[in-house]
Amino acid sequence: MKLYISFSFLSFFFCLNAFSQNIYDVGKIPESLKQDAVAIVRNEEQVYDYKTIGTGSIKYKIAITILSKAGDDVAEFAEVYDRFSSIYNIKASIYDASGKKIKDYKSTDFKDQSLISDYTMFQDDRIKLLKFTNNNYPYTIEYSYVQDYNGILSLPSWRSLKGYNISTEKSTYSFQRNNNLNIRLLTSKELNTDSTTANNKTTYTWTASNVPAFVKEPLSVGLDQISAWVRIAPNQFEFDSSKGDLSSWKNLGSWISKLNENGDVLPPVTKTMVQNLIKDAKTDKEKMQILYSHLQQNTRYVSVQLGIGGFKPILAEKVAQVNYGDCKALSNYMKALLKEAGIKSNLIVIGSGIPELNRSFSSMGQANHMILAVPFAKDTTFLECTSQNYPMGYIGYDNSNRNVLMVTENGGQLVRTPKYRSADNYQVRKANIQLLDDGLATIIIKSNYGSAQYEDNLSNLLAEPAEVRKRALQHLDFADAELQQIRFEQADKTLPIINAEITYKTKQLLSKGADKFFLTVNNINRKESVPEKITNRKTDFAISFDYSDEDEIVYTLPKGFSIEFLPKDVKLSSEFGEYSASFSMTENTITYKRTQVMSSKVFPAAKYNEYVDFYKKIYQTDKLKAVLTKI
Amino acid sequence: MQIKRFIYLVGILCLALNSHAQKKEFKFGKVSAEDFNAKPFGIDSAASAVKIFDVGECYFQYIPTSGFVYVFERHVRYKIINKNAYDLANFQISLYKSGNSSKEDVMKMEAATYNMDQDKMVVSKLNKDAKFTEEFNKNYQIKKYTLANVKEGSVIEYKYSIRSNYIFNLREWHFQSEIPTLYSEYNVKIPEYLTYKTYFTGYYKVNQTKHESINASYVSELSSNATYDQYVLEKVPALKDESFITTLDDYRTAINFELRSTNFPNDFARDYTGSWPKIIKGLADDENFGLYVNKNSIAKSLLPTLLKGEKDTLAAANLIYNYVKNNIKWNKSYRMYSSETSPKIILDKKTGYSADINLLLLNLLTEAKIMARPILISTRDNGEHPGYPMVSKFNNVIIGVNIAGKIIFLDATNNDHPFGMVAYENLNHQGLLIDLKIFDGRWISTESSFANEKIFSYTLSLDKENKLKGSMLQYHKGYGALSLRNRYRSNTNETEFIKNFKKDKQGLEVDKYKINNLDNFDEVLNEELEVTIEENVEEAGNLVYLNPLLYEQTKNNLFKQDKRLFPVDFGYPIKESIRATINFPEDYEIDKLPKGGIYKLPDNKGMFSINFLTQDKTILVKSVIEINKSLFSPEEYFDIRELFKVIVEKQAEQIVFKKKS
Repeated sequence: MKLYISFSFLSFFFCLNAFSQNIYDVGKIPESLKQDAVAIVRNEEQVYDYKTIGTGSIKYKIAITILSKAGDDVAEFAEVYDRFSSIYNIKASIYDASGKKIKDYKSTDFKDQSLISDYTMFQDDRIKLLKFTNNNYPYTIEYSYVQDYNGILSLPSWRSLKGYNISTEKSTYSFQRNNNLNIRLLTSKELNTDSTTANNKTTYTWTASNVPAFVKEPLSVGLDQISAWVRIAPNQFEFDSSKGDLSSWKNLGSWISKLNENGDVLPPVTKTMVQNLIKDAKTDKEKMQILYSHLQQNTRYVSVQLGIGGFKPILAEKVAQVNYGDCKALSNYMKALLKEAGIKSNLIVIGSGIPELNRSFSSMGQANHMILAVPFAKDTTFLECTSQNYPMGYIGYDNSNRNVLMVTENGGQLVRTPKYRSADNYQVRKANIQLLDDGLATIIIKSNYGSAQYEDNLSNLLAEPAEVRKRALQHLDFADAELQQIRFEQADKTLPIINAEITYKTKQLLSKGADKFFLTVNNINRKESVPEKITNRKTDFAISFDYSDEDEIVYTLPKGFSIEFLPKDVKLSSEFGEYSASFSMTENTITYKRTQVMSSKVFPAAKYNEYVDFYKKIYQTDKLKAVLTKI
Repeated sequence: MQIKRFIYLVGILCLALNSHAQKKEFKFGKVSAEDFNAKPFGIDSAASAVKIFDVGECYFQYIPTSGFVYVFERHVRYKIINKNAYDLANFQISLYKSGNSSKEDVMKMEAATYNMDQDKMVVSKLNKDAKFTEEFNKNYQIKKYTLANVKEGSVIEYKYSIRSNYIFNLREWHFQSEIPTLYSEYNVKIPEYLTYKTYFTGYYKVNQTKHESINASYVSELSSNATYDQYVLEKVPALKDESFITTLDDYRTAINFELRSTNFPNDFARDYTGSWPKIIKGLADDENFGLYVNKNSIAKSLLPTLLKGEKDTLAAANLIYNYVKNNIKWNKSYRMYSSETSPKIILDKKTGYSADINLLLLNLLTEAKIMARPILISTRDNGEHPGYPMVSKFNNVIIGVNIAGKIIFLDATNNDHPFGMVAYENLNHQGLLIDLKIFDGRWISTESSFANEKIFSYTLSLDKENKLKGSMLQYHKGYGALSLRNRYRSNTNETEFIKNFKKDKQGLEVDKYKINNLDNFDEVLNEELEVTIEENVEEAGNLVYLNPLLYEQTKNNLFKQDKRLFPVDFGYPIKESIRATINFPEDYEIDKLPKGGIYKLPDNKGMFSINFLTQDKTILVKSVIEINKSLFSPEEYFDIRELFKVIVEKQAEQIVFKKKS
């Protein structure tokens, strides 16, 4: 049922709720909402009043029934604020299964805490917290508050489902704006937007009712595909004394460009330093390499996010003095260094490791990072300025292959970062396994890792040798493994490639079975599990990683062993990827070869079980055993 | 009164480190070439930084409005070897406050980075805009500092002082950290009016290089003395984590202080914690301990309906225990003192800290005339208690109830604890059983009577398509049952539980599932499964083979490291037995079965046995693992490592069938 309610009527509705008895009686919940649910949103009312470009206010109220222990995590009040917003009129209560109020919480029950994300030194955010607890299930929690904003960058979004395994009995979002304030809406496909205009104000309303709980599906693209949602972006905004226009990526880029105006001035001593550093360099790329190395050797990542400082880089002049900064500060500093060397570069606003920027819907909150682009005549080099280790031009898998916003003096421009293809993200392995008469095997594995797989192994390259040993030992296949030697190297610092060599001994290469010996031929790169099949899958699935693996093992057997059985070759080819395994032997050797190439892509839900079959075949082939006998 | 301490940490060696006591000078800003050349040493030679020195001082001041306060000064200097140590350039200090006058403050903070530029030393002092104050919550403030111009080869240093009103415990001093330390020194000057107890933790023996009386004036016109102690340790290796330990802090070389007594002019000598009786009397009179337990009005009104005249002690204790565990929800925090002054408030709130809940339990038991007493605990995370009178090292309380002369441990923080089970965190080997009436206390062993026990029984038939079909019975006892109950209840529903159960069990289809005695603690918790298993039987030519232990096969040795410094502390004994009966097709034959065997550790510390039997077209395999101790010393590490090696090797053996062709 779609329900339209005007704002004044809604406040009246609030009052009604407060006096009616037992509205949270669990007995009244339809069975369909209990299916697969740990909690049920009984009623959610979100009312936003967008007053001026810089001010707004939200009235929020929610009641959630917790069905079992698994739902306890949802029984929480956790609201974030900062110095541009305040939370007040907080009320919270808890009800038993029959809907009878157990108690109201007092303001002293709430905790007020700073909220500083990992890797950040300091930021403004704070959180108000209350953990609801009850020993008997089900129980219902209810809370409400008002939050006023003084400074607006973004407007609240809404989704019919709050999370996996949480159904929604009823949820409403009512958004009201003054008609002189322009917004853009982005909604899920089938969501109806009701809007009315009166007294120079327009009100939009979205409602969801009786939405059953959804169970997370493996490799799922997410809840957005099956729930109703709306995102709202302002066209103009005002925040921390800065005004800007968000109506297009171009304009958003202009704002950032303006924030950053004259931010790339270097102190004279740094200018001299740059000139000294590059004095022998011939090409711009050489100069860039020298300056990027300088940046990596001399700066470190320290993040401080205060107000507009969350968007505006610290001045290059300041970074030159202290040699630290966050992604914005370091990118901007690098830009300044390049500028001094006569090389033009542009700041890049990017969503790293999160969904890429939506080309047709510009808004804040789609990006979380900044890198630098250096356009040359034929190509563009992207620089990740927070890494002290990446070779120049390598920006990490999370930054790759996505729409990003390039900040230019003429505003923002959407460009794409390079893609690291399967062939780039490689693992090439060659193993030599020598088995002796007494059952002792010496295993030498040489591996090369490229790009994204280089990234996976970077921590081994950098860690203390003792720590690397400890980690390696933990991951070795054999319970008695004796690690002889382990080494990670980056032969050429300008390439994202790591070489590794590991040597170890084991007496457990072969497992016994009466008078036979079994050899799991692939003991260097196995898929150990298969995702579960699902009937009636609803969401699409994604293979999220492009990579290619190429492994080869040569076994040398001692005299007296004969190979009684060797598995057959397997070759698989599908739209999901390619795989092959081959087994060959001579009198006293076994050679095993394995290749797997996968490409990141989103597939329709209906293809999922086919994917599981493909994967299962790989799993089965990876664990094939050869049978040996001792003569 | 007898106070006896159980020595559980078998491996504390107190290694003496070489020391070449030299006259050292520590002056802020005076950085020498030697500092730039400082290198990590010994097994840490590849460390990312080295602590050149770490020198602390703790002394007292008298402030008319608040009395004695202590000042803690520290001066630490590092050499940064590589980028992994950059975090050392971000420094933070946590400060506690409980009111406007009762608080801690940073009085001074100086810090700098030193770099060599050609032959010139460049100094970058801590900037004003590189200081931050995070108001974490109403009790904690965090001061944060970040240094400029830090690179590989930099020397950095911090010198700061903190003033604190909380003189019950002085700032502890860590001689050892995750960075190797060349020199660490702590100077403590305590006024004659105060007496402190000290205790050391860790593996290395700290040298006390001074113990003398000095003149110290706290109030003008009154000359007085202080005791000056100095502790030094040189060349301290980095502290590294290991698995299966209580807390790394148990192994960190450090010194701690707790106030024993005061003897102010014009006042009585006051002994606060000089002996267990003093400490226990203090607890008895505390409104968040003894007085909380004594408030009996709510118990009086509650007990008649709860007990309904039950006379049997065990039955009555059970009724009370079940009432508390089922009605009050633990807020997941440990505390030794109640957060409220009356059990009634907790009963109304229906939630509380561990002490709120367990002392409420004690309150009810006492009112019901059941003999019960508190047991003070230092949880595993909190570390080992040093044994002698030191109240601040406890952080939890459980209850010991006397049933027919036997003390049974109760912990009502989890309603899945059967009568007598305490949370894993309490399994720290010892607790102080105290008597609030006669102010008596004694150490008792808190080894649990519950093990982590699992019994699996499979009856399966192998068909010619290499599928196994049949039943799996799984019994869970003690901590094994606690863990299953927790897993089961943390899932949305049984379907999801089964889905998660299957997750790491390739090829398993659960055709039928039933869990028995989920809420019945008197019977053994068990699961009955009807299953179809694929993927676990393999074919090679005319051979068919399988591992009969299926998903319970131990594939990984948890103890692969060649050496171990710290004890292996499981917390409880572990038992696992698997019995698999497999019927196989008529035209399959077994030539030879793997050899069985029994492997025992000395002194019945642990054992593993495996047996293979065949009769007609049935094979029977039985595997038993028993770890009978909860704690193994580093010397015993080799034993347990070898035992696990054998387990993995023997459990990997396959049953091989030959197909009649």
